[in-house]
Amino acid sequence: MSVAQWRVARVTPLGEFAQPARITGTAVRLAAQVFLVVCLWRSLYSQVETSAGLAREQAVTYAVLAVLALQIRGLDRSASRDTMLQHIQEGTVLYWFVRPIPPRRYYLVRAVGDQLYGFAWVIVGYAICLAAGAVKPPASGGAAAAFAVSLLLAQIIMYQLLLAVDLVCFWTLQNNAALTILRFLQNLLSGVIAPLWFFPDWFLTMSSVLPFRYTLDVPLSLYIGRSAVGEAPRLLAIQLLWCVLLAGLTRLMWRKAAGVVTVQGG
Amino acid sequence: MDAIIARDLTKTFHTIARRPGFVGGLKSLVAPARIAKTAVDGVSFSVREGELLALLGPNGAGKSTTIKMLTGILVPTSGSVHVAGIEPHRDRERNARTIGAVFGQRTQLWWDLPARDSLAILRDIFGVEAEEYRRRLSEFDDLLGLSEFWDTRIRHLSLGQRVRCDLAAALIHDPKIVFLDEPTIGMDVVVKEQVREFLRHQVERRGRAVVLTTHDMTEVNRLAERIVLINHGRLFFDGSLTELRSRFGATWQVHVTLADAPAEVAVPGLRVLRHDGPRVAFGPGEGATTTHEALRLIIERYAISDLTIEENDLEDVMREAYLHREQVTA
Ligand SMILES: Nc1ncnc2c1ncn2[C@@H]1O[C@H](COP(=O)(O)OP(=O)(O)OP(=O)(O)O)[C@@H](O)[C@H]1O
Ligand SMILES: [Mg+2]
Repeated sequence: MSVAQWRVARVTPLGEFAQPARITGTAVRLAAQVFLVVCLWRSLYSQVETSAGLAREQAVTYAVLAVLALQIRGLDRSASRDTMLQHIQEGTVLYWFVRPIPPRRYYLVRAVGDQLYGFAWVIVGYAICLAAGAVKPPASGGAAAAFAVSLLLAQIIMYQLLLAVDLVCFWTLQNNAALTILRFLQNLLSGVIAPLWFFPDWFLTMSSVLPFRYTLDVPLSLYIGRSAVGEAPRLLAIQLLWCVLLAGLTRLMWRKAAGVVTVQGG
Repeated sequence: MDAIIARDLTKTFHTIARRPGFVGGLKSLVAPARIAKTAVDGVSFSVREGELLALLGPNGAGKSTTIKMLTGILVPTSGSVHVAGIEPHRDRERNARTIGAVFGQRTQLWWDLPARDSLAILRDIFGVEAEEYRRRLSEFDDLLGLSEFWDTRIRHLSLGQRVRCDLAAALIHDPKIVFLDEPTIGMDVVVKEQVREFLRHQVERRGRAVVLTTHDMTEVNRLAERIVLINHGRLFFDGSLTELRSRFGATWQVHVTLADAPAEVAVPGLRVLRHDGPRVAFGPGEGATTTHEALRLIIERYAISDLTIEENDLEDVMREAYLHREQVTA
């Protein structure tokens, strides 16, 4: 793949810059979400210092970072008619097969662009929250390093999960239900709705054998020091394992998809 | 040299029959009935470099399916395709560099980007040199008048404007072979003429091979040297416009005004349709003749002061051809 082809990553950011209203919208939404989450968790902790083994500031930091981290998942491209589902339903996916970049790479490059764009938001949001005292800095230098590596792996797992669900469209020509379930599971099992320690034990066990926890809860736990740095190698290894497993699965799905591509009449 | 060779090209789609109604829906869920639909059935033809071929046929004939196989998007059920020596579906990446494609009803441009940004993205995908890109862009602008609207986002373009951008997008990497599935859909007459001029330029000056589908007979009249007709997935005509007319459109009329008004008019090989004083209308007689020959025969026998020829227009010819095919398959 040529270097120039990586420039395709700029499609989504270019589209956002072309519409300043969208950028304002994202900023307002993000600010409101962070503000509400901080209020919620501070009031939940108004009577106690620690709950489920989590101190107040740890819980608030976890919740705020979870809100911010959702940004790196990538924007919802449906307003730009640019989701895999839309391309398959409208038949525009056929152009992916007449370009000298395999669909698999094109999808990857676009996702990298979207996630980097989201990451820029996270950096800005994080800096502001840190300055405002809404989040605390990482528990330690070691925790920061473990968090950085874990976050990268978490992104890869997230990417593979979303890709797998998108690829299902090639067979079903729709994935609305699958996407809704995935989003719900992802939010519930990864700690977006609430840190996982507030859930019963069986729930924690279940979430440990599924990939979702490893997309958010694991890096955040390392950040706030709830998971000790000593545990990091084991957690990172599990994350890596999920990356490899899911990568194998999506690779297989891509190969099959290229064979079954049927584009609706017209 | 042949740019495109299709041999015995066949595509069968397998779909699941949806029975009507709620109970039917449940039945389909429990015991899905698979139905096979052969959209393209043993089609063979070839296209030379610098040739424009119009692939015509009624709705659902299999034109788009054929184009999707020629571009490597669909894998043929059987038969073979070679485009510039490549089997498109086996080597999609290399194939992509030699072909360009426009599916008129669908855009390959990014909805939220101005057209010019979309073209720049395609430049990067195809690795077109900056200088060459600028040159081509200005050439396309001259021919298609893109600069009027290329700073507008695709979502705000009219259909005709958008399709013009799509044409530029398909040719930005200078492909030798171009596939156009209904490229003039939704265009006004002025823009249509502009696009025809553009296509003629691409074929005659740049020597590209073009395969075009359209339902616009004026376009066929103006552009096509060669026509391939398919219906129900089968090819049933491959030849020039003149051949098509002589096979399916033999009904012409020659109206003449004779210098004098003879009581009896007769020309061997022609039929007199009307005879009213000096005005006579001839039609083809026994051994169906061309208008050309008919004129010669008439002029040899009579002195004429005025003459008009009324040929079936292409729409009539086409209707005749499609119906003829229905009878043959029935
Ligand atoms: N993906 C598909 N699955 C099942 N059947 C299909 C599929 N695509 C096309 N067909 C069927 O194949 C036949 C040919 O379709 P095609 O789109 O090639 O026609 P066409 O000649 O392009 O028609 P039109 O002039 O209306 O565009 C139609 O009967 C259509 O219903
Ligand atoms: Mg069609």
